[in-house]
Amino acid sequence: MTMTAHTPRILTDGETVLMAAYDSAPPADHNEARTTAINALRELGLPTRRLEAFHYTDLRALLRGKYKIAERPSEEDARAIGTGFPRLVEDASVLHFRDGHYFDWGDELPKGILVDAQLPAPAGADDAVARINTAFASSGASITIQANAEVEKIVGIAHAHTGAEDTVAAMRTCIVAESGSSCRLIDRAVGKNDVFYLHSSLVDLDIKDGATVNYVLSIEEGDAAQRLAQFNVTMGETATLNLFILNAGGKLVRQEINFDVMGEGANLNISGVNLVGGEAHIDVTSRITHHVPDTNSQETFRNVTTGRGRGVFQGQINVRQAAQQTDARMACNTLLLSDDCDFSAKPELEIFADDVQCAHGATVTDIEESYMFYLMARGISETRARRMLIKAFVAEIVEELEDQPLIEALERRIDIWMEQHV
Amino acid sequence: MLEIKDLHVRIAEDETEIIRGLNLSVAAGEVAAIMGPNGSGKSTLSYVLSGKEDYEITQGSITYNGENLLDLDVSERAAAGLFLAFQYPVEIPGVPTMTFLKEAMNAQRKQRGEDELTTPEFIKRVRAAAAALKIDFNMLKRPVNVGFSGGEKKRAEILQMSLLEPKLCVLDETDSGLDIDALKVVSDGVNMLRDPSRAVIVITHYQRLLDHIVPDTVHVLSKGQIVKSGDKSLALELEEKGYADIISAAA
Repeated sequence: MTMTAHTPRILTDGETVLMAAYDSAPPADHNEARTTAINALRELGLPTRRLEAFHYTDLRALLRGKYKIAERPSEEDARAIGTGFPRLVEDASVLHFRDGHYFDWGDELPKGILVDAQLPAPAGADDAVARINTAFASSGASITIQANAEVEKIVGIAHAHTGAEDTVAAMRTCIVAESGSSCRLIDRAVGKNDVFYLHSSLVDLDIKDGATVNYVLSIEEGDAAQRLAQFNVTMGETATLNLFILNAGGKLVRQEINFDVMGEGANLNISGVNLVGGEAHIDVTSRITHHVPDTNSQETFRNVTTGRGRGVFQGQINVRQAAQQTDARMACNTLLLSDDCDFSAKPELEIFADDVQCAHGATVTDIEESYMFYLMARGISETRARRMLIKAFVAEIVEELEDQPLIEALERRIDIWMEQHV
Repeated sequence: MLEIKDLHVRIAEDETEIIRGLNLSVAAGEVAAIMGPNGSGKSTLSYVLSGKEDYEITQGSITYNGENLLDLDVSERAAAGLFLAFQYPVEIPGVPTMTFLKEAMNAQRKQRGEDELTTPEFIKRVRAAAAALKIDFNMLKRPVNVGFSGGEKKRAEILQMSLLEPKLCVLDETDSGLDIDALKVVSDGVNMLRDPSRAVIVITHYQRLLDHIVPDTVHVLSKGQIVKSGDKSLALELEEKGYADIISAAA
């Protein structure tokens, strides 16, 4: 008889407290999926930096604190928190989430959209970010945009953390844009400053043949908050996704975005602005896989880094052997504004087809001195001049959204960030 | 209004001395022309007045309306009424001209303790100033100076000057790169701003500009010093004899 001796791995602080959060008060629906996820976490732990995808974001070191699963807040608290965060756009139907829990306040949905406010089945990649979501998610929604529905009105997915210290708030959204449909979605996460919490968000978006989705992801977590999130997209034939991401909050943000371009003629546009200041660590890790011929993707990020902020952008483009005539372009431009901040940009191309066009570029610059001098020579203070030039750098990306009220709302968010950090 | 005494300035980076004991006094209401050959220190003087960081003042003083100008940073000087019309205005992509103008005008109003301009009032003023300088208002929908021709940039400088209503204007070779018609427009713009409470320093190579903006005083700058001062006839004398004669006679 052979005996196998397992030496239990010593858990890091972050792993220990996450396990404890689950074990001390597991979710009511303590089902098999959750058990599998938490056991995988227990066994494999959080990713180490030896994993390429986590090279710049050491979750084992960064994920620390006390956690318990956030309880459903009172109706009153749930409503009250919203007043501190005015909507980005007034005319929208909003699905409200508070501390990971869904609240139905009777927002009327536009025609062509169906919502089932049940926690969708676990999804996402087989990794720590998805496992944490599976283990902890309190609620979620499945959203269907019906075939050929052209939905003009914006649908919002709004998560606010109400301020309960040391809590894990997790939610999951599954969105299916049926063939030929079109819609506009705003997915926004906000939270109070100076409150420690972990927000886990997982979105699965399936864009069927010929459907178009315009999606804005506005990350405005509180300045002490952690966010571990995953956004997974599958695209069918001639499907279009225009995704805009704003990072303007959070102490630790790991936002994974994964795209599988599965249908010929599909068109993927990703753009984003990452504002990294104070002590924040903001990581956007993107993977685009072109599986079939004749698809294209464009990805553009503008980053502003200051204070002791640390920014990360990893952009992987995989072109499978079958995916001839792929056109994939990626650009990552960064302003580094202080001596103590840094930004790591890692473009990665893996190409197995021989007839493709792929381009990537990354630049790092400081603010142009001659511009500063010109603005200041007109009486504009150094701070205001600096803000104007930062704004100019990022506004170019925001203004591509072609929706004036939304552009203005996002620019206001950028202004608020600059008032705090520049 | 402006009193420069025994000013010595060097380039901070390589310590090359450019201004070597310059004295100049400009009174309110005066238009003073500073003329000189290439490399005499004309542009350096304009940058030192505006507060550009690349220069080091090693000796001397600049007093502006009784205040030590050197105590103020670039934006404070501008807000205090000093305006430099650039020889080469930069193009600033992404900053809308109108946003820039409003920000600049309000910065100065704030300095003077006045309320910010309302948007209609602001637009009204810009429209009027643009019309006077024959500037197509649509041009102002572009980012600052982006895609402007050389002449358009100079006109835009004068537009800013008229909107900001400075007390001391420094025109750094505003005539360079201008055709005759544009020169006239720009000069008319400057002349409109002539006022007993306002001083103008016109820095130029050529007498030509001074036919349009007639100076009260003319100063010849050579090797970082004012070597000769006179009235407008000095400019004509320079045009006739060239810098070399005047400078060697003055030495």
